[in-house]
Amino acid sequence: MTLQAQVIIIVFLFFVLAVIVNMIRQRRLELKYVLLWMGCDIALIILTCFPDLMNVLARILGIQSPMNMIFFLGFLFSLIIIFSLTVTISHFTAMVRKMAQEIALLSDELNEKTKKEE
Amino acid sequence: MDNTSKMKKLVIIPAFNEAESIVETVRDIRENAPEFDFVVINDCSKDRTLEVCKKEHIKVLNLPINLGIGGAVQTGYVYAYHQNYDIVVQFDGDGQHDARFLETMANTIINEQADMVIGSRFIEKQGFQSSGVRRIGIRIFSFLSCVLFGAKITDATSGMRMCNRKVMELFIKDYPRDYPEPETVCRLLRKKCKVMEIPVEMKERSAGVSSISFSRSVYYMIKVTLAILIERLR
Repeated sequence: MTLQAQVIIIVFLFFVLAVIVNMIRQRRLELKYVLLWMGCDIALIILTCFPDLMNVLARILGIQSPMNMIFFLGFLFSLIIIFSLTVTISHFTAMVRKMAQEIALLSDELNEKTKKEE
Repeated sequence: MDNTSKMKKLVIIPAFNEAESIVETVRDIRENAPEFDFVVINDCSKDRTLEVCKKEHIKVLNLPINLGIGGAVQTGYVYAYHQNYDIVVQFDGDGQHDARFLETMANTIINEQADMVIGSRFIEKQGFQSSGVRRIGIRIFSFLSCVLFGAKITDATSGMRMCNRKVMELFIKDYPRDYPEPETVCRLLRKKCKVMEIPVEMKERSAGVSSISFSRSVYYMIKVTLAILIERLR
Protein backbone atom coordinates (compact mmCIF):
# COMPACT_ATOMS: atom_id res chain seq x y z
CA MET A 1 0.00 0.00 0.00
CA THR A 2 1.37 3.44 -0.91
CA LEU A 3 1.41 6.21 1.67
CA GLN A 4 -1.04 8.14 -0.51
CA ALA A 5 -3.56 5.29 -0.47
CA GLN A 6 -3.11 4.87 3.28
CA VAL A 7 -3.85 8.55 3.96
CA ILE A 8 -6.89 8.61 1.68
CA ILE A 9 -8.35 5.43 3.21
CA ILE A 10 -7.78 6.60 6.77
CA VAL A 11 -9.35 10.01 6.13
CA PHE A 12 -12.34 8.27 4.56
CA LEU A 13 -12.71 5.82 7.47
CA PHE A 14 -12.57 8.61 10.05
CA PHE A 15 -15.17 10.52 8.03
CA VAL A 16 -17.47 7.47 8.11
CA LEU A 17 -16.94 7.11 11.87
CA ALA A 18 -17.77 10.81 12.38
CA VAL A 19 -20.96 10.43 10.31
CA ILE A 20 -22.05 7.41 12.39
CA VAL A 21 -21.37 9.16 15.72
CA ASN A 22 -23.17 12.25 14.53
CA MET A 23 -26.23 10.24 13.52
CA ILE A 24 -26.34 8.59 16.96
CA ARG A 25 -25.99 12.02 18.50
CA GLN A 26 -29.06 13.19 16.59
CA ARG A 27 -30.88 10.00 17.62
CA ARG A 28 -31.31 8.89 14.01
CA LEU A 29 -29.41 5.66 14.74
CA GLU A 30 -29.70 3.35 17.72
CA LEU A 31 -26.31 2.69 19.30
CA LYS A 32 -27.11 -0.98 19.76
CA TYR A 33 -27.47 -1.62 16.02
CA VAL A 34 -24.41 0.34 14.87
CA LEU A 35 -21.86 -1.15 17.28
CA LEU A 36 -21.00 -3.72 14.60
CA TRP A 37 -20.44 -1.00 11.98
CA MET A 38 -18.28 1.01 14.35
CA GLY A 39 -16.28 -2.14 15.17
CA CYS A 40 -15.64 -2.82 11.46
CA ASP A 41 -14.64 0.78 10.85
CA ILE A 42 -12.16 0.80 13.73
CA ALA A 43 -10.74 -2.59 12.69
CA LEU A 44 -10.14 -1.23 9.18
CA ILE A 45 -8.46 1.89 10.58
CA ILE A 46 -6.08 -0.28 12.59
CA LEU A 47 -5.32 -2.50 9.57
CA THR A 48 -4.64 0.52 7.37
CA CYS A 49 -2.36 2.14 9.92
CA PHE A 50 -0.34 -1.06 10.35
CA PRO A 51 -0.44 -2.89 6.97
CA ASP A 52 2.06 -5.46 8.28
CA LEU A 53 -0.73 -6.80 10.47
CA MET A 54 -2.46 -7.97 7.28
CA ASN A 55 0.52 -10.15 6.36
CA VAL A 56 0.56 -11.66 9.84
CA LEU A 57 -3.21 -12.28 9.75
CA ALA A 58 -3.06 -13.75 6.25
CA ARG A 59 -0.33 -16.15 7.34
CA ILE A 60 -2.33 -17.22 10.39
CA LEU A 61 -5.44 -17.83 8.28
CA GLY A 62 -3.38 -19.65 5.63
CA ILE A 63 -4.25 -17.21 2.83
CA GLN A 64 -1.39 -16.48 0.41
CA SER A 65 -2.10 -12.92 -0.64
CA PRO A 66 -3.03 -10.27 1.95
CA MET A 67 -5.25 -8.58 -0.65
CA ASN A 68 -7.34 -11.75 -1.01
CA MET A 69 -7.70 -11.81 2.74
CA ILE A 70 -9.00 -8.23 2.77
CA PHE A 71 -11.67 -9.15 0.19
CA PHE A 72 -12.54 -12.29 2.10
CA LEU A 73 -12.81 -10.48 5.46
CA GLY A 74 -14.81 -7.63 3.90
CA PHE A 75 -17.24 -10.16 2.43
CA LEU A 76 -17.48 -12.00 5.75
CA PHE A 77 -18.16 -8.81 7.71
CA SER A 78 -20.87 -7.78 5.21
CA LEU A 79 -22.51 -11.18 5.56
CA ILE A 80 -22.45 -10.93 9.37
CA ILE A 81 -24.07 -7.50 9.29
CA ILE A 82 -26.72 -8.58 6.75
CA PHE A 83 -27.46 -11.68 8.80
CA SER A 84 -27.83 -9.69 12.02
CA LEU A 85 -30.28 -7.41 10.19
CA THR A 86 -32.30 -10.46 9.10
CA VAL A 87 -32.44 -11.64 12.71
CA THR A 88 -33.61 -8.19 13.83
CA ILE A 89 -36.29 -8.04 11.12
CA SER A 90 -37.63 -11.46 12.11
CA HIS A 91 -37.83 -10.28 15.68
CA PHE A 92 -39.68 -7.12 14.66
CA THR A 93 -42.13 -9.08 12.49
CA ALA A 94 -43.14 -11.20 15.49
CA MET A 95 -43.47 -8.07 17.64
CA VAL A 96 -45.66 -6.20 15.16
CA ARG A 97 -47.97 -9.21 14.79
CA LYS A 98 -48.36 -9.49 18.56
CA MET A 99 -49.09 -5.77 18.88
CA ALA A 100 -51.74 -5.91 16.14
CA GLN A 101 -53.43 -8.85 17.85
CA GLU A 102 -53.37 -7.07 21.19
CA ILE A 103 -54.94 -3.96 19.64
CA ALA A 104 -57.64 -6.09 17.99
CA LEU A 105 -58.49 -7.67 21.35
CA LEU A 106 -58.54 -4.28 23.08
CA SER A 107 -60.80 -2.63 20.52
CA ASP A 108 -63.15 -5.61 20.72
CA GLU A 109 -63.23 -5.29 24.51
CA LEU A 110 -63.93 -1.56 24.17
CA ASN A 111 -66.71 -2.18 21.62
CA GLU A 112 -68.41 -4.71 23.86
CA LYS A 113 -68.26 -2.29 26.77
CA THR A 114 -69.81 0.63 24.86
CA LYS A 115 -72.53 -1.71 23.52
CA LYS A 116 -73.44 -2.73 27.07
CA GLU A 117 -73.57 0.89 28.20
CA GLU A 118 -75.94 1.76 25.38
CA MET B 1 -40.52 17.70 57.40
CA ASP B 2 -43.87 16.33 56.33
CA ASN B 3 -44.67 18.70 53.48
CA THR B 4 -44.69 15.89 50.94
CA SER B 5 -48.10 14.59 51.90
CA LYS B 6 -50.12 16.72 49.45
CA MET B 7 -48.12 15.49 46.50
CA LYS B 8 -49.08 12.58 44.31
CA LYS B 9 -46.34 10.01 44.44
CA LEU B 10 -45.95 6.84 42.39
CA VAL B 11 -43.66 3.81 42.58
CA ILE B 12 -42.88 2.18 39.22
CA ILE B 13 -41.94 -1.48 39.55
CA PRO B 14 -40.61 -2.88 36.26
CA ALA B 15 -41.02 -6.66 36.39
CA PHE B 16 -39.65 -9.37 34.16
CA ASN B 17 -40.19 -12.85 35.62
CA GLU B 18 -40.55 -11.66 39.22
CA ALA B 19 -43.52 -13.82 40.27
CA GLU B 20 -41.67 -15.06 43.36
CA SER B 21 -40.72 -11.67 44.76
CA ILE B 22 -43.29 -9.17 43.49
CA VAL B 23 -45.80 -9.74 46.31
CA GLU B 24 -43.12 -9.24 48.96
CA THR B 25 -41.94 -6.05 47.20
CA VAL B 26 -45.47 -4.64 47.15
CA ARG B 27 -46.02 -5.57 50.80
CA ASP B 28 -42.82 -3.67 51.67
CA ILE B 29 -44.13 -0.56 49.89
CA ARG B 30 -47.61 -0.80 51.43
CA GLU B 31 -46.10 -1.08 54.90
CA ASN B 32 -43.14 1.25 54.78
CA ALA B 33 -44.22 3.84 52.22
CA PRO B 34 -48.03 3.99 52.51
CA GLU B 35 -48.25 7.44 50.90
CA PHE B 36 -47.03 6.08 47.60
CA ASP B 37 -49.24 4.60 44.89
CA PHE B 38 -47.59 1.87 42.91
CA VAL B 39 -47.83 0.23 39.53
CA VAL B 40 -46.15 -2.91 38.22
CA ILE B 41 -45.04 -2.85 34.59
CA ASN B 42 -45.10 -6.46 33.41
CA ASP B 43 -42.60 -6.63 30.55
CA CYS B 44 -43.98 -9.79 28.94
CA SER B 45 -42.86 -12.08 31.76
CA LYS B 46 -42.68 -15.76 30.91
CA ASP B 47 -43.62 -16.82 34.43
CA ARG B 48 -46.78 -16.15 36.44
CA THR B 49 -46.02 -12.50 37.31
CA LEU B 50 -49.23 -11.23 35.70
CA GLU B 51 -51.45 -13.84 37.36
CA VAL B 52 -49.87 -13.23 40.76
CA CYS B 53 -50.43 -9.46 40.45
CA LYS B 54 -54.06 -9.93 39.43
CA LYS B 55 -54.70 -12.35 42.26
CA GLU B 56 -53.26 -9.94 44.83
CA HIS B 57 -55.09 -6.95 43.28
CA ILE B 58 -51.86 -5.19 42.43
CA LYS B 59 -52.22 -2.55 39.72
CA VAL B 60 -50.36 -3.79 36.68
CA LEU B 61 -49.66 -2.42 33.21
CA ASN B 62 -49.19 -5.40 30.93
CA LEU B 63 -46.91 -4.91 27.93
CA PRO B 64 -47.90 -7.17 25.01
CA ILE B 65 -44.32 -7.32 23.71
CA ASN B 66 -41.00 -7.33 25.52
CA LEU B 67 -39.63 -3.79 25.50
CA GLY B 68 -36.58 -4.35 27.70
CA ILE B 69 -35.97 -2.66 31.03
CA GLY B 70 -35.72 0.80 29.44
CA GLY B 71 -39.02 0.53 27.59
CA ALA B 72 -40.78 -0.88 30.65
CA VAL B 73 -39.59 1.90 32.94
CA GLN B 74 -40.42 4.51 30.31
CA THR B 75 -43.97 3.10 30.18
CA GLY B 76 -44.14 3.85 33.90
CA TYR B 77 -42.97 7.42 33.34
CA VAL B 78 -45.55 7.96 30.60
CA TYR B 79 -48.28 6.63 32.91
CA ALA B 80 -47.12 8.79 35.83
CA TYR B 81 -46.97 11.89 33.67
CA HIS B 82 -50.46 11.42 32.25
CA GLN B 83 -51.91 10.61 35.68
CA ASN B 84 -50.46 13.89 36.98
CA TYR B 85 -48.08 12.45 39.52
CA ASP B 86 -45.66 15.00 41.03
CA ILE B 87 -43.00 12.54 42.05
CA VAL B 88 -42.16 9.15 40.63
CA VAL B 89 -39.65 6.55 41.74
CA GLN B 90 -38.25 3.42 40.08
CA PHE B 91 -38.10 0.41 42.35
CA ASP B 92 -36.88 -3.09 41.46
CA GLY B 93 -39.35 -5.94 41.82
CA ASP B 94 -36.74 -8.50 42.85
CA GLY B 95 -36.46 -7.54 46.51
CA GLN B 96 -33.17 -5.63 46.21
CA HIS B 97 -34.58 -2.27 47.25
CA ASP B 98 -35.95 -1.20 50.60
CA ALA B 99 -39.12 0.93 50.77
CA ARG B 100 -38.08 2.51 54.10
CA PHE B 101 -35.91 4.95 52.15
CA LEU B 102 -38.65 6.26 49.84
CA GLU B 103 -39.89 8.82 52.35
CA THR B 104 -36.38 10.27 52.80
CA MET B 105 -35.89 10.42 49.04
CA ALA B 106 -39.16 12.31 48.58
CA ASN B 107 -38.20 14.78 51.31
CA THR B 108 -34.85 15.34 49.61
CA ILE B 109 -36.59 16.13 46.30
CA ILE B 110 -38.83 18.67 48.00
CA ASN B 111 -36.52 20.27 50.53
CA GLU B 112 -33.44 20.43 48.33
CA GLN B 113 -35.41 21.13 45.15
CA ALA B 114 -33.58 18.29 43.43
CA ASP B 115 -34.69 17.04 40.02
CA MET B 116 -33.49 13.53 40.69
CA VAL B 117 -32.49 11.66 43.84
CA ILE B 118 -30.54 8.42 43.48
CA GLY B 119 -30.42 5.83 46.23
CA SER B 120 -26.72 4.98 46.50
CA ARG B 121 -25.20 1.86 48.05
CA PHE B 122 -21.76 3.40 48.25
CA ILE B 123 -22.12 6.50 50.42
CA GLU B 124 -22.36 4.75 53.77
CA LYS B 125 -21.29 1.39 52.38
CA GLN B 126 -24.03 -0.46 54.26
CA GLY B 127 -25.91 -3.51 53.09
CA PHE B 128 -25.14 -5.62 50.02
CA GLN B 129 -22.29 -4.00 48.11
CA SER B 130 -22.54 -5.84 44.77
CA SER B 131 -19.80 -8.14 43.48
CA GLY B 132 -16.20 -7.02 42.97
CA VAL B 133 -16.32 -6.97 39.18
CA ARG B 134 -19.47 -4.88 39.15
CA ARG B 135 -18.01 -2.39 41.60
CA ILE B 136 -15.11 -1.78 39.19
CA GLY B 137 -17.63 -1.02 36.43
CA ILE B 138 -19.54 1.34 38.69
CA ARG B 139 -16.27 3.09 39.62
CA ILE B 140 -15.53 3.63 35.94
CA PHE B 141 -18.93 5.25 35.40
CA SER B 142 -18.38 7.47 38.46
CA PHE B 143 -15.05 8.52 37.02
CA LEU B 144 -16.57 9.22 33.58
CA SER B 145 -19.46 11.25 34.95
CA CYS B 146 -17.02 13.21 37.11
CA VAL B 147 -14.59 14.00 34.29
CA LEU B 148 -17.16 14.65 31.58
CA PHE B 149 -19.95 16.32 33.54
CA GLY B 150 -18.22 17.50 36.71
CA ALA B 151 -20.54 15.81 39.18
CA LYS B 152 -19.78 13.22 41.81
CA ILE B 153 -22.16 10.29 41.33
CA THR B 154 -21.16 7.27 43.40
CA ASP B 155 -23.83 4.86 42.13
CA ALA B 156 -24.83 5.73 38.58
CA THR B 157 -26.15 2.21 37.94
CA SER B 158 -28.60 2.30 40.85
CA GLY B 159 -32.11 1.32 39.78
CA MET B 160 -33.64 3.16 42.73
CA ARG B 161 -34.18 6.67 41.46
CA MET B 162 -36.79 9.30 42.22
CA CYS B 163 -37.55 12.29 40.03
CA ASN B 164 -39.92 15.20 39.48
CA ARG B 165 -42.12 16.15 36.52
CA LYS B 166 -39.38 18.03 34.70
CA VAL B 167 -37.31 14.84 34.48
CA MET B 168 -40.38 12.75 33.64
CA GLU B 169 -40.89 14.95 30.58
CA LEU B 170 -37.30 14.36 29.46
CA PHE B 171 -37.58 10.61 30.00
CA ILE B 172 -40.83 10.35 28.06
CA LYS B 173 -39.16 11.93 25.04
CA ASP B 174 -36.19 9.60 25.01
CA TYR B 175 -35.05 6.68 27.14
CA PRO B 176 -32.47 4.04 26.14
CA ARG B 177 -33.72 0.50 25.55
CA ASP B 178 -31.27 -1.41 27.69
CA TYR B 179 -28.85 -0.51 30.48
CA PRO B 180 -30.44 2.95 30.78
CA GLU B 181 -29.29 4.14 34.20
CA PRO B 182 -25.78 5.63 33.77
CA GLU B 183 -26.61 7.15 30.39
CA THR B 184 -29.76 8.89 31.62
CA VAL B 185 -28.02 10.25 34.74
CA CYS B 186 -25.41 11.80 32.45
CA ARG B 187 -28.13 13.26 30.24
CA LEU B 188 -29.70 14.98 33.25
CA LEU B 189 -26.29 16.34 34.25
CA ARG B 190 -25.81 17.70 30.74
CA LYS B 191 -29.21 19.39 30.94
CA LYS B 192 -28.06 21.03 34.19
CA CYS B 193 -30.60 19.18 36.31
CA LYS B 194 -29.90 18.90 40.02
CA VAL B 195 -29.00 15.25 40.68
CA MET B 196 -28.45 14.24 44.30
CA GLU B 197 -27.64 10.99 46.06
CA ILE B 198 -28.72 9.74 49.45
CA PRO B 199 -27.35 6.66 51.20
CA VAL B 200 -29.56 3.55 51.06
CA GLU B 201 -29.09 -0.09 51.88
CA MET B 202 -29.73 -2.73 49.27
CA LYS B 203 -30.18 -6.44 49.68
CA GLU B 204 -29.02 -9.28 47.54
CA ARG B 205 -31.82 -10.11 45.11
CA SER B 206 -34.20 -12.64 46.64
CA ALA B 207 -35.33 -14.03 43.28
CA GLY B 208 -34.75 -13.69 39.57
CA VAL B 209 -31.50 -13.13 37.72
CA SER B 210 -29.76 -9.86 36.95
CA SER B 211 -30.50 -8.36 33.55
CA ILE B 212 -26.70 -8.30 33.16
CA SER B 213 -25.12 -11.75 33.14
CA PHE B 214 -21.35 -12.05 33.41
CA SER B 215 -20.86 -12.86 29.73
CA ARG B 216 -22.69 -9.71 28.72
CA SER B 217 -20.79 -7.39 31.03
CA VAL B 218 -18.09 -6.62 28.46
CA TYR B 219 -20.75 -5.61 25.95
CA TYR B 220 -22.44 -3.63 28.72
CA MET B 221 -19.27 -1.69 29.58
CA ILE B 222 -18.50 -0.85 25.94
CA LYS B 223 -22.06 0.17 25.11
CA VAL B 224 -22.66 2.31 28.18
CA THR B 225 -19.23 3.97 27.97
CA LEU B 226 -19.84 4.85 24.31
CA ALA B 227 -23.33 6.10 25.15
CA ILE B 228 -21.95 8.38 27.87
CA LEU B 229 -19.26 9.74 25.54
CA ILE B 230 -21.85 10.44 22.84
CA GLU B 231 -24.07 12.06 25.44
CA ARG B 232 -21.23 14.51 26.09
CA LEU B 233 -21.19 15.38 22.37
CA ARG B 234 -24.92 16.13 22.23
